[in-house]
Amino acid sequence: MPLETESTLRIRSIIKDFKPNNGDLLAALYAVQHEMGYLSKEALAVIADQFKMFTAEVYGMASFYEEYRFDPPAKTTIRWCSGPACRTRNSAGIRDAILATLDLNETGEQTEDGQCSVVVGQCNGTCELAPMIWVEEHKTYELPVGKLTAAKSIKLARGLRSGSGIGEILNG
Amino acid sequence: MVEISINGKTVDAEPGRRLVEVIKEQGITITNLCYIDGLEPYAGCRTCIVDIEGGRPSSLQLSCTAQITEGQVVRTDTTEVKQARQSVMSVILANHPDRCLTCHRRVHCMPGDICLRDDVVTHRCLTCSKNYRCELQTSCENVDQGDFSEPWVGEKRSYYETPPPEPDRANPFLEFDPQMCIICARCVRACDELRHTGALSLAGKGHTTMIAFGAGGQIHESDCDFCGACIDVCPTATLMEKPNKWNGRADDWTSAVCNSCSVGCTITYGTSDQVGSENIPVIVRPERINPVSQDQICVRGRFGYDAIGPEDRLTTSLERQNDRLVPRSLFDATNLAVEQLRTVIDSHGAQTIGLLGSPLATTEEAMALSALADSIGTPNIDFSHGVIHRSVLSSLDQALGTNKLSADLTDIEKSARLVVIATDLEESHPGVSLRIKGAARKNQAKVVLISPRWSELDRFACSVLRCYPGTEANVADSLGKLETNPPLGISTEQWNAALTIVGSNEEFSDEITSVVFAPNAIDAEMASGLASAACNLAIGMVGNTTAEHLFYLPVDGNTHGVHDAGIFPKTDGKAFREIILGAISGSIKGLIIHDDNPILNSPDTDMIISALSNLESLVVIDSVKSTLSDYATVMLSEAAFYHRSGSITTADRRVLLHNSIDSGVEKEKSGIEIIKRIGAGLGFDFDRVFSYSALAEYPSEEALVQQQGRLRAIPDQAVFKAEVQEIDVPMRRVDDLAVFTSRSLYTSWDGASSASEEADKLDREGTAWVNPGDAQEAGVTQGVAVTLQNGSHSITMKIKLDDGVAAGTVYVPSYYRGGAIMSLFALEGLTGGLPSVKLVAADA
Repeated sequence: MPLETESTLRIRSIIKDFKPNNGDLLAALYAVQHEMGYLSKEALAVIADQFKMFTAEVYGMASFYEEYRFDPPAKTTIRWCSGPACRTRNSAGIRDAILATLDLNETGEQTEDGQCSVVVGQCNGTCELAPMIWVEEHKTYELPVGKLTAAKSIKLARGLRSGSGIGEILNG
Repeated sequence: MVEISINGKTVDAEPGRRLVEVIKEQGITITNLCYIDGLEPYAGCRTCIVDIEGGRPSSLQLSCTAQITEGQVVRTDTTEVKQARQSVMSVILANHPDRCLTCHRRVHCMPGDICLRDDVVTHRCLTCSKNYRCELQTSCENVDQGDFSEPWVGEKRSYYETPPPEPDRANPFLEFDPQMCIICARCVRACDELRHTGALSLAGKGHTTMIAFGAGGQIHESDCDFCGACIDVCPTATLMEKPNKWNGRADDWTSAVCNSCSVGCTITYGTSDQVGSENIPVIVRPERINPVSQDQICVRGRFGYDAIGPEDRLTTSLERQNDRLVPRSLFDATNLAVEQLRTVIDSHGAQTIGLLGSPLATTEEAMALSALADSIGTPNIDFSHGVIHRSVLSSLDQALGTNKLSADLTDIEKSARLVVIATDLEESHPGVSLRIKGAARKNQAKVVLISPRWSELDRFACSVLRCYPGTEANVADSLGKLETNPPLGISTEQWNAALTIVGSNEEFSDEITSVVFAPNAIDAEMASGLASAACNLAIGMVGNTTAEHLFYLPVDGNTHGVHDAGIFPKTDGKAFREIILGAISGSIKGLIIHDDNPILNSPDTDMIISALSNLESLVVIDSVKSTLSDYATVMLSEAAFYHRSGSITTADRRVLLHNSIDSGVEKEKSGIEIIKRIGAGLGFDFDRVFSYSALAEYPSEEALVQQQGRLRAIPDQAVFKAEVQEIDVPMRRVDDLAVFTSRSLYTSWDGASSASEEADKLDREGTAWVNPGDAQEAGVTQGVAVTLQNGSHSITMKIKLDDGVAAGTVYVPSYYRGGAIMSLFALEGLTGGLPSVKLVAADA
């Protein structure tokens, strides 16, 4: 039997209002990810318990959606816009420049020290900023950075990798 | 029944059935890669396409979703159907290796040849572990897929273009190689709908969809119990048994019975003619003979044959010379045993001989052993758990007028109301636990669980009465009397839920009610009290039909069979405890032990050991080099269980035949032959056949061969007596922490009895379960080693903090380190079944 710990109790309190067979599962997963930053194995087990499901069912369901994470997020996430407007303005080159600077092979990875990760984002219509990325720190800020050039994106990635604050990078 | 036509042949079929099942029953080959017989169709693979006249929108229809209707005209053999199947199969094959189909040497490769990958062929093709027993391969051949030459020149196929995903080989039972997976999802459905475990799911989406265990980690981190139901349904080499993965292609199958618990699941041993694996099973599959187990077995049934390595088996007989054991031939060793026994009989009398049988033996072996005792003229015959079994039987006799309950375990899954009293049925009797889960999930059965420890059944129960160990009888009795106040320590909410279920007899009057109890194997008084309490509870719910609704699950496999065969003390004979005391006091001088191991099974290890060392002659007949070898004067090497034949009587007194995988080589090493030879050596007439059919109420041999699995050794006449008994088990509580124990799922008898390194292969249970509150009080934390101290006795082991045990109790698996926990229990006295221990942090 899984042991009740401080963190399981915290997860239980996050999802206490969600009920089984009520279409609540996605919302519960979202609430836990929003609070905890990701869906840990422990969290999946607690959610399964509350929804009277098997842990594997919950994982199978959650893994269908790109937005759910099963590993702790990096300190800073670079969400790279994959929209067509950005593409026409060489967003692929921007992505490659960022990945190379951070020493990553593909999107979805994070740096070894957990400082930065690059994920694929979807177009939100602010195409006047193309090519753009969002720089996010979990539950702290989500900042669109647009009209990127290769030089600008490399500078940004270097700054984030060395741990500088985003304000410092953009203004400095 | 309606008439339909399949390939021009008129067939009678039940309307509404799935067409694919009827086609298969007719012996017509049809590819169906995702269908599992008996479950709802999944319609994922699309390979079971057939032509149904008048089908809409096209006559090409899936035979798994199609249901039988009057006058259906079905064809499975038209060109159109074949082409449709070929195109479906080519899509499946695009992401699966096809070398087994396309290698031009695939039917030629013989030992000594060079394969086209420049490997020497030792005894098989190296392409795939499932070569020649793969359902996908057969299916492809059925539709003539792959009948082309060297397609890999310039081919573009996703399988060969993407790096293979990582296989999971971290556990000792199951290998998961996702590169072979065709996402048929059979395993997902089998685990969910057949096993009610739900350890697997389809994870991800699109072309990256994969089978995932638990929360996406490794298999042993998930809820998986390694029953292997997914292996049975997997059409490819994705999920395979780890032992003998590469040489598990059986040439012959032998129908047998698993003796690992009293459910008696029927299994079939696969044997191979390949060099190096002659004469041992290479694979085990469930066999549908026993209607209780049907097509399901558990990890012990499937992997038990491989539980210990050859070094822990007793392959040669041994003779003790001072402190050494010297190898002897079986013939010499038997003569030596006879000589020793004769010396004891001549100098001290036949009454100083004791015999211990075992519920792990077959009924015939037990009959032979009992006959040996009679011939010698000693009434001292028993087995370690004998007194537990007999006290339960006498409680049943008192309350119901019979101990041969007519309750049929196939009723469990049909029950609408169940009361289960056991420590952890999932681990001790997985086959019954599975049927209880089935009742809860398929039949919405209301389950009340009385147990001192968390088990997997908890989540299927409507009410869990977590009781103090040893008080199960009192709790069950109070529940039977519908007392409004819960017994001490039981939550009021759960108690009220249980009362509602137990008390509403009218609501369940048309449905089946079952009461299942599995007594502990330590304390006879507790066991008999539990049996009486279970009777009382059942009588309150089903009145005088109790014998049809009450299930007694003995701990070990053939407990009923060996008892019926006469393994119990005869008039004025010594029972197990008296034999042990006699050995210490000197009134027992010689002991013959067949398959039993009191060091593992019996409380008070110190006393057992001093008794065994005090004997003049200790003759042990066993197939494993058990811990008894330290004290034996002669060890006679018996054939392994899979090399022996006989019958087994299961918990619901079903008589099943167990067959040896080999026809001659090991025959003279079978237990029955060894016992006969000892008898003959002592000058008795043992030249006779022992057969279950000689026992009262047992079926005749002809009848059993014809109707195996359906015949049970129960009285012809139903018994309608039901008297409520007074329960006089005191509500015991100990001052410090109460230790309780039971059988664990992953440890085999063979491994535990020989205290083998291999015994705890998975190492999921080698820990003491401690309530977090108790741990905090004792100042110990998760995972540290502690000493459980009971007076002068102690054992040291790691702990696991768990809310599943009540405060004030500690659970230790009984098979841990060859039964180490038994040293804390006493073989006599009231508190024998409930030692009190102090928890002390062990110095690192």
